[in-house]
Amino acid sequence: MGIQEQYRIEAAELLSSGAVKLVIGYGQGSTPDRRRPVFIRSAEESKQLLLDSYCVANLSGYLVPEGLLSDGKSVGVFLKPDGIRSVNILTAEAQVNPDQVVIFGFDIENGNTKPLSGRKAIDFAPLIESMKSTGLSPELQHEADRLEQMSASERFEYWKAQFAKCIKCYACRQVCPMCYCRRCIVDVNQPQWVNTSSHTLGNFEWNIVRAFHLAGRCVACGGCDRACPVNIPLRLINHRMSKEALDAFDHFAGESADQKPVLATFRQDDPETFIL
Amino acid sequence: MSEPFEPKIVAFVCTYCTYAGADLAGTSRIKYAPNVRIVRLPCTGRISPMFILKALQKGADGVLVSGCHPGDCHFAQGNYHARRRWTVFRSLLSFTGIPEERIKFSWVSAAEGAKFAELINDVTEQIRDLGPFEQYQELQKVIETQSSY
Repeated sequence: MGIQEQYRIEAAELLSSGAVKLVIGYGQGSTPDRRRPVFIRSAEESKQLLLDSYCVANLSGYLVPEGLLSDGKSVGVFLKPDGIRSVNILTAEAQVNPDQVVIFGFDIENGNTKPLSGRKAIDFAPLIESMKSTGLSPELQHEADRLEQMSASERFEYWKAQFAKCIKCYACRQVCPMCYCRRCIVDVNQPQWVNTSSHTLGNFEWNIVRAFHLAGRCVACGGCDRACPVNIPLRLINHRMSKEALDAFDHFAGESADQKPVLATFRQDDPETFIL
Repeated sequence: MSEPFEPKIVAFVCTYCTYAGADLAGTSRIKYAPNVRIVRLPCTGRISPMFILKALQKGADGVLVSGCHPGDCHFAQGNYHARRRWTVFRSLLSFTGIPEERIKFSWVSAAEGAKFAELINDVTEQIRDLGPFEQYQELQKVIETQSSY
């Protein structure tokens, strides 16, 4: 029995026994190689669930909408390891109650899906611990190294060319499980911090602010990178922030549910090499 | 003949230490470079990275952020939180190509009037050497000249 069949049966059992009120998983998308989130509320519907190597989206963001978990009932959700890390962060930031999240864990290796054992975020702690050392893919690492070696003004020109493409659709924000603010800073107009029209300077500011707000929170699910209609390499900038949090503060985003958010805590002996 | 370049520097300072330090420099009649515009805030913890971006957007050539020494914060921890935020923000600016040398961070206590004056003079000279931040300011000019925005 494949993992897809196994998880369909488990989802149907959990739904019919009332252990969960909803299962968030993947269903058929608009093209054969796309998967779209489906929200399964009854055992019969669970045959819509698909699980294959196209299931790459991080579904943890669908746990956050207000009122979903307020009735105390549990919700099942299909998550890859990055999504499980997101649940840990959302727990640490008091956005979800981990007891109400039932995880259908899976991972994709060489185009094959494999199940991960465990139902609660805490069951996956050893797996997440082992992810700490995994870096970027070789191509992205090469690109990141190339950027690091540039001079500041070359890097500025690189990002200027990238951000000039931005159309401020905010797809990167909408897709991100970490961007749950009810009022995003770009939607604030008193004062208007970030220009809303999509000229290069405003795009610069928006992308800097977005990356800053994800510092030490991004789990590199790659959702923003895939969502970007103009292919800005957002993964690179997110990775740079994660690296800084790890190097300077030994903070690996989503390592556990009781981890304090990196910028909401401090140590007296934090590094301060740059302060005059 | 064009006028010599005078850098515009915005200083975000906390009211309990650096602003008092600046006050001491003033009452002690210590002369320092007039290129700095001081913005007084309750604490370095109040200094959002948005302020730094806004200052650059509005034409600053350099930004100085200054507050109480670690352990001296009026609110006990504000500067520790700020320090973490700066560490991350500084590396982000650097990665996007905004030169780190234009954004300065320092601790100046209420008793360090002389240090404040010296700091302002040093920072002003360093920014003067770097010249105007044309790369960034050109982007702002585009907005101002194109009415379609």
